[in-house]
Amino acid sequence: MKNIMVYLYAIFLLLFSVFSYTFIDPNLMYLEDIYSGFAFDNRFITTFLYVIFISVFFIFYGSFVWLGLRKKLRFKDVFILVSITIGGLIFSYPAMLSYDIFNYITTSKVLFFYSENPYIIMPIEFVGETFLSFTHAANKIALYGPIWILLTGIPYVLGLGNFIITILSFKIFIALFYAATIIVIWKISKKIIPLILFAFNPLIIIETLVSGHNDIVMIFLVLLSFLLLIKKKIFLGTLFFVLSIFIKYTTILLFPVFLFMVWKTIRKKEFRLEKVFYYSSLLMIIAFLLSPIREEIYPWYAIWFLSFTFLIPEKKLLLYISIAFSFGLLFKYIPFMLSGTHAGITPLIKSIVTFVPAILVSFYIILKTKLWERIFSR
Amino acid sequence: MPGGISYKIHLLYENVSKYWYFGDFGQFDYNLKMADKYLVEAKTLFEYKQYLLGYKALQKSDSYFVNIMPNLAKAEKNGKNALKKKAVLRKASQKHIEVLEKMELETPDTFIWQPEKALPTNLYLKRDIEKSIDIRRNNL
Repeated sequence: MKNIMVYLYAIFLLLFSVFSYTFIDPNLMYLEDIYSGFAFDNRFITTFLYVIFISVFFIFYGSFVWLGLRKKLRFKDVFILVSITIGGLIFSYPAMLSYDIFNYITTSKVLFFYSENPYIIMPIEFVGETFLSFTHAANKIALYGPIWILLTGIPYVLGLGNFIITILSFKIFIALFYAATIIVIWKISKKIIPLILFAFNPLIIIETLVSGHNDIVMIFLVLLSFLLLIKKKIFLGTLFFVLSIFIKYTTILLFPVFLFMVWKTIRKKEFRLEKVFYYSSLLMIIAFLLSPIREEIYPWYAIWFLSFTFLIPEKKLLLYISIAFSFGLLFKYIPFMLSGTHAGITPLIKSIVTFVPAILVSFYIILKTKLWERIFSR
Repeated sequence: MPGGISYKIHLLYENVSKYWYFGDFGQFDYNLKMADKYLVEAKTLFEYKQYLLGYKALQKSDSYFVNIMPNLAKAEKNGKNALKKKAVLRKASQKHIEVLEKMELETPDTFIWQPEKALPTNLYLKRDIEKSIDIRRNNL
């Protein structure tokens, strides 16, 4: 049965990859030969298919967790499934749900091709630049940290000046960080459940392996930093923590946790990992909830707290709310997918689908555990 | 404005920030920004009859301004389309000339700056303002 499931999963991922190509941007001249306009001309069917795909994604996720809980999924199986996940999605169209990968590439081009400072010069200043027709943040200076921009030099140079190879190079680069994060999670937890919860979470998979968001790089570096601190390596732990901050700045909120770990290490005292990851998760949830101050809550921001929550699956309330968020956030794309506009009631519906699953799960757990009885009996 | 210790720190920051503005377009932005800044400083100092400091600020503005065009030429040599930047420079030159012409009307031809414990300095203000205008006219 497990083998059939693996085959079905592989076929499903390939189908999802094919589906992603219905979203090709009409201005992306490099893929004009396979442009169909399907997602824009058939909004209802596209949305319907997307809902089916996401639901099936979560069914697979639940199944893998279930198999893990029954000890029917071992590390070797997870390794095979992760390889299938990467292989099945590495060739998917990256701008299906977000155009960020184009921003990464164009920002990288500003630095490594034009030799200009992306914190000063906007891509739009390069008249006649072909990437401008499909880069959505062309009128902004670099939004990310300097370490990220420097790192993008690797996939950019490996792209050899060819856009398609560059896209693939960026996707492989991000996939390597996804794989590396899984290894770090394994090294930290030594348990199969956190591994499965992280590696096969549909939101983490889609936002990392399809859309190629750099959040995974930031999370990898901070988890590596924590792993090094667990091993009492303060210098390297500090170095990777700083590197993580300069990817996307969010992990600066974890500074109190980092300081706590360093202080305990210096004092040669033990610290409870459960506590470290619990507070890290809470701090990342705060960062996630505060993100509308800057722009809005984007689905991939959930990677920030999911990564920590999955390391402490025994914190049930946190775990279920996090999974509910990852479910709701993937449905946040639906209002725009269906209507084609960000105006009108789209923002309201987006907020509803983001928060309602998490709120419902919270109520369910509160009722199930009779938390209210405990509160009122005090 | 010149005089305090904070101004010296600011000058140091300005010199260091030159390296942050790397690249042809970056240097274009940096030199234009500095030329604008020192022209405003010169204008204000002239208004307060601080001619020696104003004269120095104007010279600084000129020194930054002459760096702008070579950076655009370099950008074009490096395959960058500099047409938009050239249009920006043209407009900036016009505005600078406008400000300088106004300054010229309100400034004496020459001025002898007599410090308390040093030799006096002859300032040929009108001649220098005209020289600054000529530098900007080259970009029209």
